[in-house]
Amino acid sequence: MGLEFLLGVGVVTALNTVLALLLVLAERFLADYGPCTLALNGEKKITVAGGRDLLATLKDQGVFIPSACGGRGSCGLCKVTVLNGGAPLATELPWLKPDEIARHIRLACQVRVKHDLSLQLPPQWLEIRQYRTTVSSLRDLTHDIKEVRLRLVDPPEIEFKAGQFIQFEVPPYERSDETVYRAYSIASPPSAKNEIELEIRYVPNGICTTYVHRHLRLGDPVTINGPYGDFTLRPGEREIIAIAGGSGMAPLKSILLDMAEKEIARRIRYFFGARALRDLFLLEEMKTLEQRIPGFEFIPALSKPDPMDAWNGETGLVTDVAARYLPDASEAEAYLCGSSFLIQAAIKMLTSKGMPRERIYFDDFG
Amino acid sequence: MKQPPNLQEIQEAMRPGRLSQTGFLGTDPRPLGDILAEDDATVRRLGLSHEALADRMAYFREKGVAGLGVPVDVPPHFEVRVDGVRGRMPCPFRHPGLYPKVFCQVKNLRTRETITFSDLQIHMIGAHGFYEGRGSAYRLEPETLIRVLEVSPAESSFNTPLHEAPGGAPSDSPRE
Repeated sequence: MGLEFLLGVGVVTALNTVLALLLVLAERFLADYGPCTLALNGEKKITVAGGRDLLATLKDQGVFIPSACGGRGSCGLCKVTVLNGGAPLATELPWLKPDEIARHIRLACQVRVKHDLSLQLPPQWLEIRQYRTTVSSLRDLTHDIKEVRLRLVDPPEIEFKAGQFIQFEVPPYERSDETVYRAYSIASPPSAKNEIELEIRYVPNGICTTYVHRHLRLGDPVTINGPYGDFTLRPGEREIIAIAGGSGMAPLKSILLDMAEKEIARRIRYFFGARALRDLFLLEEMKTLEQRIPGFEFIPALSKPDPMDAWNGETGLVTDVAARYLPDASEAEAYLCGSSFLIQAAIKMLTSKGMPRERIYFDDFG
Repeated sequence: MKQPPNLQEIQEAMRPGRLSQTGFLGTDPRPLGDILAEDDATVRRLGLSHEALADRMAYFREKGVAGLGVPVDVPPHFEVRVDGVRGRMPCPFRHPGLYPKVFCQVKNLRTRETITFSDLQIHMIGAHGFYEGRGSAYRLEPETLIRVLEVSPAESSFNTPLHEAPGGAPSDSPRE
């Protein structure tokens, strides 16, 4: 009886060992895709080790694809054309429209590099670089929005357009055991090439925002990559309606500073929503910009000012306030930044005032 | 306690780095079935149901959306802010659809307590009775949820069996 039991244990152990060995061998010989060639836009060719996802593989080669979730397939930003990549996975389908599937668009984070791939990327993505920076300034703008200034170290300068964003690399720390990336708009003007400014609002339990608000210190090294995005001022003479709230201030501040420096004198009305006076920030900077840009008017709106605020400005939801100012928006164009709910409400209001949907611009962070 | 293979597979999907960076289980070493059973017992002991809690959470979420990212007052003594970040999350219990990363922060001005939850958590509580594992930064203790949101037994019902969730409209989480 005892011998039979020991024999049984021995057989099971031996079988487990054989199965484990088979798995190791399969991993070694079957999952080894060897070197693969990635052809970028039919021109540049790079040789990479196969086996990893396309987003990470390209990043290691200095080719940065926009991504707000760091490659988990939960943001839908890292769309690339993979001419010979096969059909999209089920995890990609919620993010892809039928015409995008027909055009062989895939999420780079979901494509595993198993063979040579032919890729089409927007040319500007090939200009995206990684930058080593150090924190040169930290300032609380409100109780939950922090201004972060990063001095560029290597390379020492960045070229970007007002309104674009970068990806902020968060190193492993107590809330996360791996590097993560999050997207933040640049608040400084493109003329300030050796230092960028970000405005980061705390998100409860957010990995990056907790790191920035609770752990980031003056002088800390920070790696970023960018610039990304097309939330930039369109040329023309149309009146500009800007609507924002919270950290949505950042790209609009960059655009306004750029307009001031370039002496662009278009009429622009900027509606900024907050609850009470303590949630407003950069008021002095906006006043200064009103003096520098002839057609600029900053209109803050408080949805519920405290009695002690002694507020005599506009009150109500920012979209309601903007609606009161805009009997007809059919000839203007709009730039929106803030909560996805704010953007949805602003689009509804602006289109009801006659503004064509295609003249409403925003970064779809929602 | 040994648990059915389907729960074991779901528990595996809840580990860090699978569906989300930090996972859903925190440092909780218990099998998923035990986690669900203990929270279910707690909610029942308090005379409530998971659906009642989820309904209350959805109520505040709905009220908060009107603020367009800015806090709003909700009578009699709540302050609610609803906002979102880019992205969507799948339900680890394999419901179809993706839940946008929207979070709802409810401050009870009477008790001065604040609680934050996502659309995905509203779904996971209502459909699965899942409040996340102990040690998860996102765990919602049922007692805390009931106290802060002031959910009363009168709002409760016990219509949906545990682990047999309806499809439900996709909602979500700010989880990273």
